[in-house]
Amino acid sequence: MAEPTTRDTILAAIRQGKPDLLPLPATIGFPPNISAENLVESFMTMVKTNGGQAIRVASLAEARAFLAEDYDLTLPVLSHVEGLDISNFTPAEELRLLDTLHLFVLEGKVGVAENAAVWVDEAAIGIRALPFITLNLSIVLSEKNLVGNMHEAYRLIDTSTGFGTFIAGPSKTADIEQSLVIGAHGSKTLTVFLLP
Amino acid sequence: MNTASPKHAKNAEAFLRDEENTDWHNETLWFVRSKRDRAAQSLPEWEELREQASQIKAHALSKLDDYLIQLEENARKNGIIVHWAANADEHNQIVLDIMRKHKATKIVKSKSMLTEECHLNPFLIKQGIEVIDTDLGERIIQLRNEPPSHIVMPAIHLKKKHIGDLFHLHLGTDAGADDPQYLTEAARIHLRQKFLLADLAITGVNFAIAETGGFVVCTNEGNADLGAHLAKVHIACMGIEKVIPKAEHLGVFLRLLARSATGQAVTTYSSHFRKPAPGQEMHLVLVDNGRTRQLASPDFRNSLKCIRCGACMNTCPVYRRSGGHSYHTAVAGPIGSILAPNIDMKEYADLPFASTLCGSCTNVCPVKIDIHQQLYKWRQVLGEAGVVEPAKKVGMSGMDVLFSRPWLYRFAGRAGRWLMQTFPTLANKASLNPWAIHRDMPKPPEQSFRDWYAQQNKKTNG
Ligand code: SF4
Repeated sequence: MAEPTTRDTILAAIRQGKPDLLPLPATIGFPPNISAENLVESFMTMVKTNGGQAIRVASLAEARAFLAEDYDLTLPVLSHVEGLDISNFTPAEELRLLDTLHLFVLEGKVGVAENAAVWVDEAAIGIRALPFITLNLSIVLSEKNLVGNMHEAYRLIDTSTGFGTFIAGPSKTADIEQSLVIGAHGSKTLTVFLLP
Repeated sequence: MNTASPKHAKNAEAFLRDEENTDWHNETLWFVRSKRDRAAQSLPEWEELREQASQIKAHALSKLDDYLIQLEENARKNGIIVHWAANADEHNQIVLDIMRKHKATKIVKSKSMLTEECHLNPFLIKQGIEVIDTDLGERIIQLRNEPPSHIVMPAIHLKKKHIGDLFHLHLGTDAGADDPQYLTEAARIHLRQKFLLADLAITGVNFAIAETGGFVVCTNEGNADLGAHLAKVHIACMGIEKVIPKAEHLGVFLRLLARSATGQAVTTYSSHFRKPAPGQEMHLVLVDNGRTRQLASPDFRNSLKCIRCGACMNTCPVYRRSGGHSYHTAVAGPIGSILAPNIDMKEYADLPFASTLCGSCTNVCPVKIDIHQQLYKWRQVLGEAGVVEPAKKVGMSGMDVLFSRPWLYRFAGRAGRWLMQTFPTLANKASLNPWAIHRDMPKPPEQSFRDWYAQQNKKTNG
C-alpha cells in the first residue's frame, strides 16, 4: 500500500479531533445602520476619514475638469472609464514599465457607506497591478450603487471573478511610532467621483 | 524535575529598564485600544456581530475537513496549485521547491505570521535567496535582525529615532532625520525597486473561502498586492484554520477585523484572489503545524478561531508593559501564550503565566475566544505535566491550601496585616517578596473587609 500523503494525514487528524457538528448562525449579517437618504453623505465622510477625497459630480465631463485641475494630465495617465478619455498611456506587457503611471481612473461597482470601501474587479481593473502601482488613483462610482454595509455589498458583488478588491482610501501606514503616513506602497491619493 | 525557565519575566525585566520607552509603549497601545472601542461602539450590533463571527468559525472548525477539501477542489478548478504541509519544515521545503523550479533568487514577502511561525526567512536566506519583507514595520525589524513584537504593528517597540538611525545606515537617509513622513517615503522608494525586481511573491492569507476556492488578503499599505501582481509567481501560505464556508461570511469578518485591530472601519485593501492572472502562477500552501492537535483538544480548540487582529495584545496590561519580544514566540501576547505551549510545552511553559487573568483580552476578542480561561486552563495542564517553574508551583499550591481553608485564610489575613503594619519595609523587600520588584506594596487596611462588613451589619441591624 502507498504511504499516506501529508494531505491524508492532516484530514485524518481533523476527523479524529474535530468537535461534533456546530450549526451556522440562522442569519448572517445585519441591516444597515445608515438610511437610504444618508448614504451619500456617510460615504463621503468616510472617504475623507480614510484619507481620500470624494466629489459629487453631475457628469464625467465635470470629473474630468476636477482631474485636470488636480493632476498634470500630460504625465502618463490611463482611464478605463468609458466616456472619460484622458488616456495617453498604453501599458506594455512588461509589468515593470507600469511604474511610471501617474494617474489611473477606473469604475467602481459597489460603494459601502459605512466604511467607504469600493469594490473593483478584474473587468474594471484590467492588469491587476494598475490600481496599486499608480501614483494617484481615481474611482468613478454611481450613487445608485451605494449600499449601507458590507453584508449588502456581498449580495451585489460577483465573487467568482479572478480578482477583485475593496479599496478604501489611499495606501497608508502607521508603522513608525503610530504616526499616520499616507502613501506607503500603493497610490498616494484617492479621489472618488460620485455620479448620479 | 525538568522545568522551564521564567524567560518572559527575565525578558520583560530588560524591557522595563528603559522606563520612558515602557511608558510610551503602554500608552500607545492603550491609545490603539481606545480607537478600537470607539470603532466598536459605532456599530450598535457589535456584540451580535462578534457572536456571528464566533459561530461561523465554530461551525467551520466542526467541518474543517469538508471545507478544506472543498477549498482545494475549487482552487484547483481555478488554476491554483494547492499544497499540504504537516509542519514548518514541510512548509519551508514546499516554498523552496517552487523557487527552485522557477530559479527564483529574489523574493518579496508581505506580512505573514505563519511564515514567521515557520521561520521561513532564515531558512531561505541560508539557501542564498534574497528575502525582502515589504510591510514597512516588517522591513524595519528585518533590517534590525529582529522578530516582530506585535502581529499587526511589528515595530511597535521602536521609537522613530531608532528607525531614523537605522534608515540612515541602510537606506542613506539624512543623519538624525526622524520624521515619519520622510522615512516612509525613503522606504517606499527602496521597496519599489524590490517589488519591481522580484521573481516571486509570498503573502499570508486572512480568509480562505471554500465556496469560491479563493482567498482574501487585507493590508493598508498595498504591499501584498504590489508583490503578488508584479511577480510571475505568487505563493500564499495559510494555516488550515483560516478557511470559512462562504463569501457572504466575509461581510461579518471584514467589519470586525480592522475595527478590532486599529480602530479603522476597514483595511485600505481587502483583496480577493481567485485565479492566477494570465501568464502568472499561483500556489496555496495549507499548513497544519500543530493545529490539528489544538483542534483535538476541547479546552484549547477555540483558539483556532483567531483572526489575528491583535486586539488582545493592545488591551493586555502585561503585554503593554513587557513588550512583545518578552514572549519569545512568533505570536506574542494573550493569544500567543495559548498557541505557543501547544507547539512546545516545555519551551513556552512560562507564557500562560504572563497574564493577570483580568479577562480584558476575552472582552475585546472579535471572535469571542475565551482567552483568559484558556490561559488559566494551561496553567493547570502545565502544572500537571510538571513543566512549571517551582516557585510558581509552590505559590499556587500554597494558594490552594489557603483558599480551601476559610479559617486559615482569615488567620493569614490578620497575620499579614499585622506583619505589614508592624514591619512595613518587609513586604517591599524584593528578596523576600518578588512581587515587590518594580512595585511598592499598598498600605494594608486597618481592618479586613470581613470585620468591616460584620460591624456595618451590627450597626444597621442593631
Ligand atoms: S485572540 Fe481574538 S483578540 Fe486576540 S488576535 Fe485573535 S482574534 Fe484578535
